[in-house]
Amino acid sequence: MKVLVTGGGGFLGRSVVDRLLEKGHAVRAIVRPSSPRPPWPDTVEVFRADLRVEDNLAPAFDGVDAVLHLAAATSGGEDVQFSSTVVATERFLDAMAKSAVKRLIHVSSLVVYDWSKARSCMDENTPLESNPYAMGGYTIAKVWQERIVSRLAEKHSWDITIARPGFIWGADHAQIAGMGRQFGQIYLLFGPFTRLPLSHVDNCADCLVAAAESPAASGEIFNIVDGDDIRVWRYAREYARRTGRRGLLLPVPYRMGLGVAQLAALTSRRLFGRKGKLPSLLTPRRFESQFKPIRFSSERVRNRLNWKPRLSFAECLDRSFEKRG
Amino acid sequence: MSKLTGVLIGCGAIAREHLTVMAELDKVEIVAVCDISAARAEATAERFGIAKWYTSHRDLLGDLQPDLVHITTPPASHLPIARDVLTAGLNVFCEKPMTVQYSDFSTLRQLARDKGCMLVENQQNRFHSSVQRIEGLIRSGELGDILELQICLSLNINSTDSPYVDKNAPHFGLTLQGGIIGDFLPHIAYLAYMFTGKVIDVHTVWAKHKSDSPLPADEFRGMIKGEKTTAYVSFSGNAQPDGFLIRVVGNRMRVEVNLYEPPRVIVKRARSGEPALGTLIDGIAESRQALVGSVAGFLRKLGGTSSYDGLREMISRTYRSIELREPQPISLDEIDEVAQLVDRLAATGNS
Repeated sequence: MKVLVTGGGGFLGRSVVDRLLEKGHAVRAIVRPSSPRPPWPDTVEVFRADLRVEDNLAPAFDGVDAVLHLAAATSGGEDVQFSSTVVATERFLDAMAKSAVKRLIHVSSLVVYDWSKARSCMDENTPLESNPYAMGGYTIAKVWQERIVSRLAEKHSWDITIARPGFIWGADHAQIAGMGRQFGQIYLLFGPFTRLPLSHVDNCADCLVAAAESPAASGEIFNIVDGDDIRVWRYAREYARRTGRRGLLLPVPYRMGLGVAQLAALTSRRLFGRKGKLPSLLTPRRFESQFKPIRFSSERVRNRLNWKPRLSFAECLDRSFEKRG
Repeated sequence: MSKLTGVLIGCGAIAREHLTVMAELDKVEIVAVCDISAARAEATAERFGIAKWYTSHRDLLGDLQPDLVHITTPPASHLPIARDVLTAGLNVFCEKPMTVQYSDFSTLRQLARDKGCMLVENQQNRFHSSVQRIEGLIRSGELGDILELQICLSLNINSTDSPYVDKNAPHFGLTLQGGIIGDFLPHIAYLAYMFTGKVIDVHTVWAKHKSDSPLPADEFRGMIKGEKTTAYVSFSGNAQPDGFLIRVVGNRMRVEVNLYEPPRVIVKRARSGEPALGTLIDGIAESRQALVGSVAGFLRKLGGTSSYDGLREMISRTYRSIELREPQPISLDEIDEVAQLVDRLAATGNS
């Protein structure tokens, strides 16, 4: 199979390309013009393009059997993220519509769910976020990206799979939002026993490649998490220990953190009405979307694809930190 | 009474500031937005509860006849869009710089006159609360004669994650004379013009501090001799922290503001008496002004006041002018003078 990978030079993209090569697939990776070529064998075709501006994407689809669409921004202002994630996807899929390629695996995120409506367990039936504008640039971009993908897939009758990973982590990307916040030497851990929806980058890449290979993935939406048995306290301790970063891990009960956010929001509404602005930690819905103590199910992807994480948490830790200096 | 109607073309970052202001104006209804990206146009319409969205401004102009058309696209597209809007007999409120070349502005100006339409460039900082405060001190005579003006804009445009130096998607500012700095010259020019009046002479220096920067220049200095006073203006792409400082020196007081940190205004008055005691009194007075201004600024942020101080007043005045059939809030002649000043400041920008 020949697979076109967008965002090929990114954190997840590099792992996906490695896994595709391991499984014997041919790879064409879209890499931004100014990014260095990752240490791939010469068999990997690099297609230089920035999806926000490149006008001639048609050759990227030549001879391709499936597309793994990973390209998205993970930082920057709202407008930067919308351009890099949504407008880029819009342009890319417009080009795909003119090609013969019909198979698309789109990488979305758990942020597209409405976390305030998730009860005890988040799964693929959890309602989607209906007001992303209250949630910040990343959520706005990922919600709209998935909307665009779904609409165009329906319009052009594409064979599509949508994958929604949890916190993707790995070497040099081990500090995840769910850990809490660092203030100088103090790490505030909101809900130290909260379960984390972790998806190690190599496990996530393996799952995406499995989805590209399996006919059972057609038309499916999957959440991708390695499991939900790792809790904030353990992850934060491993992170601090293995990075050698000194500091105080200060656990804050989830209810206390949420209560402070709710009080701040109430005060803001009283003083400033609906216009009031607060940082994300003091915005109850945004606080929930990062720290809510719920379970995370990956039953669907395990059942339909017969997939399970290749690497245990201990192996993921070793792999993530062994490369450091 | 029916509301005035507004539409907006170009749904990028600055568009959100315009739409937020428009949504807060009781007498204004936003009837449509437009962007070449359907997703961006639709998302903007959904976010602000706007009924219609378009991907072609010509389709929009074919369907609707709004009282005011906001143009918030990149500068290179202002000329063709504004020309279409004016040709349709509609008023224009355009982001700065109105055009890339001064000669193109002249074309639009003539078209606006022929059609009897407003052609307004966004010069929001004229209506910035801190600038209005300075104007008040001048009008009341407290500042005395203006002897010197300094406008110093510092913005870290060279940082690695800055969109201004994105090698993959070159910023639209690079199409302007002076590069990215050219995108900020209109702010500097209209503020300088407010105090200097008609420009007599201009001298500029352009430099590159960061040698590996993809920008043609990241430092700019200028001297403007005007009818009323002289101004030293600067842009630094490296000086930190970011700031937009204005210092006006009169023969009775000097006043300093940072447009990024309203409403803090530091005023230092000339006083007689024991100098040592004066230093103490001035220090206490300045500390008090800084504290009060900083607390007020913090509360403004918590209160959701836009960091684009002045934009609300500018847009509000434009709609009021339309409603009352009065002249536009900044005359075409003044916009023309500023456009000429920008042209002169930028003239050596790419050399």
